Amino acid sequence: MHLNTDMENESISKGLEEALKSFDQKTKQVPAGYFDQFELDLMQKIKAQKQGPKRAPIVTLFLEHKKYLVAASLLFAIVTGSLFINKAENTNDSIVNVETIEIENLPDELIEAYVNNNELVAEVEWNSAIEAAGTNLISTNQ
Amino acid sequence: MTDQALIIQFQNGDSKEGAFTQLLKRHQENVFFQIKKMVLEHADADDIAQAVWIKVWNKLDGFKHESAFSTWLFRIAYNETLNFIAQKKRLTAQHKLSVLDPTIDRPSSQDAPKETEIQIKLERAIAELPEKQRFVFMLRYYEDFDYEKIASITGTTVGGAKANYHQAVKKMTTLLQGD
Repeated sequence: MHLNTDMENESISKGLEEALKSFDQKTKQVPAGYFDQFELDLMQKIKAQKQGPKRAPIVTLFLEHKKYLVAASLLFAIVTGSLFINKAENTNDSIVNVETIEIENLPDELIEAYVNNNELVAEVEWNSAIEAAGTNLISTNQ
Repeated sequence: MTDQALIIQFQNGDSKEGAFTQLLKRHQENVFFQIKKMVLEHADADDIAQAVWIKVWNKLDGFKHESAFSTWLFRIAYNETLNFIAQKKRLTAQHKLSVLDPTIDRPSSQDAPKETEIQIKLERAIAELPEKQRFVFMLRYYEDFDYEKIASITGTTVGGAKANYHQAVKKMTTLLQGD
């Protein structure tokens, strides 16, 4: 046993030291020839590991053209992105168009009704304006 | 032949097995006893030690000589041991009920080797130490590794390693005095 004799071990009590000594002796009890057998078993395991089924090597395709692949994928991403953005803009335009078309395609009856209603409102407003002006004229003349 | 020369021999592919076997012969006992002090069971220590040396075989080609071989080796042993303990804890938690199963065969107390009361107490005290503290204590007390090396093995600072050692001594003393 190789016990260090530094100051720090002075803090270890006699009782503990003796117990640690016998603990060491106990842990060092191994069957006869254990380490020789250990070596044999280990080397057998290592040989079996070497001869065992080898994993298929991982083959990376197009490894030599890696930079071209990276450039191509970047280009693809940019093109796809711009197409997507353009499409989105077109979609916005088409919303405006759709609204225009919807107005254009309004049934005639609705348009007529709209015009009539507005004319009526316009007439009502016009008449009331004339009436108001007449009333003003009468009052100023008086 | 130094460890470094053996590793270079291994890395160059000249008699790989010969170089490895020499490293194994040189270090296997220390590694095994350190592991056994952590897990106590011989069979468990055997499993862990096998895993450690297989890892050494697989990774030695990438060893960069930035630390001593023994530091690197004990770091692998430390990781494997802690992984094993964590795995065992999980399994024990899962099969906690089976512990209470009376149909399971257990060695009778007559079969167990006779131990003194203080030995039993010490083993209990050691088992109660956190794994890192336990590992640090064993490396310092039994292997006489300096704190720099212990810190490098356990991935802590020198101060941390010192604190772990002193905490372990304190706890073991208290647990031995108690009961």
